[in-house]
Amino acid sequence: MVKKGLVGVLVIVGIIIVLGIIFSGWYIGTRNSLITLEESIDASWAEIDNQLKRRTDLIPNLVATVKGFATQEREVFTQIAEARSKLAGAQSVGEAAEGYNRLQTALGRLLVIVERYPELKSNQNFIRLQDELAGTENRIAVARKRYNDSVRLFNTKIRRFPASVVANAMGYEKREYFEIEEAAREVPTVEFGS
Amino acid sequence: MEHNTDKSVKDVLMHIKIPVIISTFLLFFVLPISAQKLPKPVGYVNDFAGVMDSASKSQMETIIRTLNEKTGVEIAVTSVETIAPYATIEEYSIELASEWGIGKKVEDTGVLLLLAMQERRVRLEIGYGLEGIIPDGLSGEIIDKSILPYLRTGDYGSGLLKGVQAVAGIVAKDYDIDLDSSYISESRKYTRRGIAGIPSIVYILIFLFLFGGGRFLWPLLFVSSVSRRGFYGGGFGSGGSSFGGGFSGFSGGGFGGGGASRGF
Repeated sequence: MVKKGLVGVLVIVGIIIVLGIIFSGWYIGTRNSLITLEESIDASWAEIDNQLKRRTDLIPNLVATVKGFATQEREVFTQIAEARSKLAGAQSVGEAAEGYNRLQTALGRLLVIVERYPELKSNQNFIRLQDELAGTENRIAVARKRYNDSVRLFNTKIRRFPASVVANAMGYEKREYFEIEEAAREVPTVEFGS
Repeated sequence: MEHNTDKSVKDVLMHIKIPVIISTFLLFFVLPISAQKLPKPVGYVNDFAGVMDSASKSQMETIIRTLNEKTGVEIAVTSVETIAPYATIEEYSIELASEWGIGKKVEDTGVLLLLAMQERRVRLEIGYGLEGIIPDGLSGEIIDKSILPYLRTGDYGSGLLKGVQAVAGIVAKDYDIDLDSSYISESRKYTRRGIAGIPSIVYILIFLFLFGGGRFLWPLLFVSSVSRRGFYGGGFGSGGSSFGGGFSGFSGGGFGGGGASRGF
């Protein structure tokens, strides 16, 4: 009788231990995969940030080149300067996105102006700067896609049961997407009406 | 019959946990639309649109193979009929280059020269590790000066060949290796201007070396030469990879969207 009871207790303890091992294995695995996801979000954000800065550094050169040919277009130069400082002072993902959008609109206007100066358009220095800018633009697009993909994976994972339990215990919250206005990416059209 | 399959499907469904099903569905949503739509590489030169002459093709193969043996830099030349369903050549190009993994792993020394016939656009995509040697401005210049004049006359093979020669010559000069002089002649058009291409951190470091207690910074130089975006220059030995018979694929290089595109 006593022996049978002991065996029963041992079996139960054994089951509890096995369950405990399975649970902690699952917990550690989930935790690690969340950490990996978070790291990849931070890494791709760093890349966006890096490229936004690179672009901010390129713009004065571009503006200086355009100024040499188009001295009277003051308004657009002011807009670019304002948007630039807005972007430089951005504290969050949302603010960075807003600064990006404003700068994008201002740059679009600048490129419209450029159309009116053929000798500027064929200037080798200007072409090179424009390629650098377009390349940076493209890097931002690539980094943005990678960032948003990671955020989507992360946000889905931390809200879905059972991983949500681990995410809650670790204090993880939803991450913000880096949204840009598609309209801001297009060059605005010029109206030639009276 | 139908009833039977229905039942077995139900059986299977009952055994698979719901989270598994959900995550499988999610996986399909998260995967890029098109990873499946991209072609597989057949070699360094992939003339999917069938627009290159065979002489240019074999010359490009030789140049790229030689360059790869000496530097580990991989160039893929590809022509496609269309980039659909992608909206722009930039999107297609980054997906293709990353999917193929052109260039040495970790060093990310890959180049993709892509021609889209229907869209009439050409793009030079530069891997992370070569962005210092071939900045975007230079990519644009190579397309303008070496490639576009031929594309406009419909001589696609020669245009791409000139582009490959220019890139190979520039890379060879930077890695300080010897290539056949005919490859180099094209790259003589491009004198390095610096500034735009070289990361500003390099300038800051040089400045610190010259003016502020340089010896404390030596360890930094070492670190940055190891890191992926530090110095590229010193002659790396042979890549060690051999492409004897069939094409065994590219080496896993990464891309970040550097390069330039043009219409033709």
